[in-house]
Amino acid sequence: MKKLSRREFLRLASNSLLGLGGLLGLGGVIRFLSYDMDPAPPSEYDLGPAADFPKVSRTLLLHIPAMLIHDNDGFLAFSLVCSHLGCTIEPTEGGFECPCHGSRYDKRGLVTRGPSRLPLKRLRVETDESGHIILHMS
Amino acid sequence: MNQHQLPESTTRVTDVARRLQASLIAIGAFLLIGASLLMSGTVNAARDRDPTATVTLIPEPTPTFDMDRLASPEVPEIRSQVDEGALLYWGVCMACHGDRGQGFTAEWQWGAFGEDGDCWQSGCHGSDYFEGGFEIPRDLVFPPLSAAGTLGRFENAQQLYDYLVEMMPWWNPGSLGPEKAWQATAYLLKMRGTLPAGLVLSGANASAVPVHRRVEIPQGQFAGLLVFIGVLAAAMIAWTARGSIAHAVHHPSAEVPAGRRAKRPDFFAHLHAPTIPAMQARWRYTLGAGGMSVFLSLVLVVTGLLEMFYYVPTPEKAAISVQTITTLVPFGAFVRNLHYWSAQLLVIAAVVHLARVIYTGAYAAPRRFNFLLGLALLVIVVLLDFTGYVLRWDEGVRWALTAGTNLLKSVPWVGGSLYEFVVGGSAPGPAALVRFYSWHIIALSLACAVVMIWHLFRVRRDGGISTAPPAQRETTARITRSELLRREVLGMFVGGLVLLILSVWVPAPIAPPIRSNTIMEADSGAPWFFLWVQQLLRLGDPFLLGVLFPSALVVLLGAMPYLFVGIKQNELGRWFPRSGKVVQLLFTIVAVLVLALTLLSLVNTP
Repeated sequence: MKKLSRREFLRLASNSLLGLGGLLGLGGVIRFLSYDMDPAPPSEYDLGPAADFPKVSRTLLLHIPAMLIHDNDGFLAFSLVCSHLGCTIEPTEGGFECPCHGSRYDKRGLVTRGPSRLPLKRLRVETDESGHIILHMS
Repeated sequence: MNQHQLPESTTRVTDVARRLQASLIAIGAFLLIGASLLMSGTVNAARDRDPTATVTLIPEPTPTFDMDRLASPEVPEIRSQVDEGALLYWGVCMACHGDRGQGFTAEWQWGAFGEDGDCWQSGCHGSDYFEGGFEIPRDLVFPPLSAAGTLGRFENAQQLYDYLVEMMPWWNPGSLGPEKAWQATAYLLKMRGTLPAGLVLSGANASAVPVHRRVEIPQGQFAGLLVFIGVLAAAMIAWTARGSIAHAVHHPSAEVPAGRRAKRPDFFAHLHAPTIPAMQARWRYTLGAGGMSVFLSLVLVVTGLLEMFYYVPTPEKAAISVQTITTLVPFGAFVRNLHYWSAQLLVIAAVVHLARVIYTGAYAAPRRFNFLLGLALLVIVVLLDFTGYVLRWDEGVRWALTAGTNLLKSVPWVGGSLYEFVVGGSAPGPAALVRFYSWHIIALSLACAVVMIWHLFRVRRDGGISTAPPAQRETTARITRSELLRREVLGMFVGGLVLLILSVWVPAPIAPPIRSNTIMEADSGAPWFFLWVQQLLRLGDPFLLGVLFPSALVVLLGAMPYLFVGIKQNELGRWFPRSGKVVQLLFTIVAVLVLALTLLSLVNTP
């Protein structure tokens, strides 16, 4: 191996130290930018007393946005976020239509027309001890 | 024990005995009075009770209740804010809000207080309370504090503090005072698990700390910064050593391998003239201030860009977002400090550069126009600093914001429209903040960049930073641009290290968000580079002293090269040329005046 001259050594040392400093600085910048300013949306919603949602009813919950269905089998809910690219879908006669790219879903949230491929996301519904409907988002 | 101290200690013993006697009598009397009051209390309570009300049964103390829960919390000898808060909570808040912040639950009520659990019946807090006690309305709710979903009306620690300091404890609102209210706030957040570890709450950070969301302050940042500084310092040493060796070896052309083209200057070298007069490139001639200003400007651009990722230019959110950057964002305080210190040092570097130009006669023709460009840069930098200062939108800048904008109204004829142009309304609000923001990040920054490039271009066009005297022009004492570049990088290293050290150890000022219903804080004032104007404003007419006089000083400085004779040929390129005496004297007078007014202002501020 060729012996390093003093000059070459210092050149190597200063360049690698500068490179290391630059990498450290870059790492710091990445960490700086990693902070989440806005809190995550709630993981669950309290929809109030179950009695507010009579049997065989469909309730549009636009603030979530979600649809709560109460049929003979009990409560059922799904998200109104289009599974294609996340627009909020609109209720139509036969089900739902996405205003962005025209995906269509039936009343049970299943795809009837593309480009969307996946059905609407099902949300877990629970009734707590005080009789309130709790909607779980995950 | 020492013999001579015996008599003294015996008198102390009798003294103690006497006191013991007195306190025994006092305790006995207290018990007697207390017992009689207690009896009358139950009698009265029984009489006052609504016969239709359901009788509350007093259950036996829950056997499972662990009486250790009533013990004073264990805190270390050196108590932090939150430790003090734990003691305070135990002493003041716990009785009603529970030992875990669970609220006045039945379990707590009957477990902790046993047969005294009915606070209204036993006469403590009923309508016929003991002397020094107080009545609690039967329907008063003692809310739980720690569970998820509680304290719903508060978003951040500042709001919780504001409520506590004014409304708590319930029976003596406002008696806590700021220090104890902060301690209590810190302890409540700790119970809720939302107090960032190691954070001491104050008005300068509480708005950023959420009541409902757990935030972690990443630890180990300080160590990371030290490593960063260490690596850069080592790089500087290695780089300097390498440069001095390269300097000693006089034939760099021998390094070029045969057959390859000789190395051509790179971009950075190309920004410089091929050679520079050695005498006028020395540190003691340039002071490195112009180059330092360019370097600081670059740091400001980078750190400013980073801050823009989190800063929110609305009156409600601005101060909170600054607190978020400073308190919660990883390395946020460091980035903000870097921006702050670069800005402060830039004002100083620019003024030093101006002084160097004046005292070396470098303002004279053909550099008169570039002198004007430099002066314009100084004004832009000061405006940038001022707008950046105002963007904090907290109590610390309220004076500058109010007085600074109202000063515009004092301008005859156009004052009103000038004010509306800057503020965008009748008082500083959302429009004013967005305008200051736009001026700061775009308009003034862009102007600064353009004038700076023009300024640097004119240095080349005018034949370097100064003209050498005729006697030196023929000599070969010139340095190459690579040597100049080396000196510039060295200056950047030194300046950068000073900046890093300042930013790690000296925090930039910050204050609670502006609230319109409070009195301005005493330490709210003009930024330091405007203290001289603040002092002038104390002396009389705002337009004359606050607008006209400072502008006149700038105009005078700009006109000097055009009003007075240039520098004699043989006095060029050195300090204090005799032919520039008048200009030097005038500048000195202006500088001393500004300095004296600044000092006077500092003395006047309590």
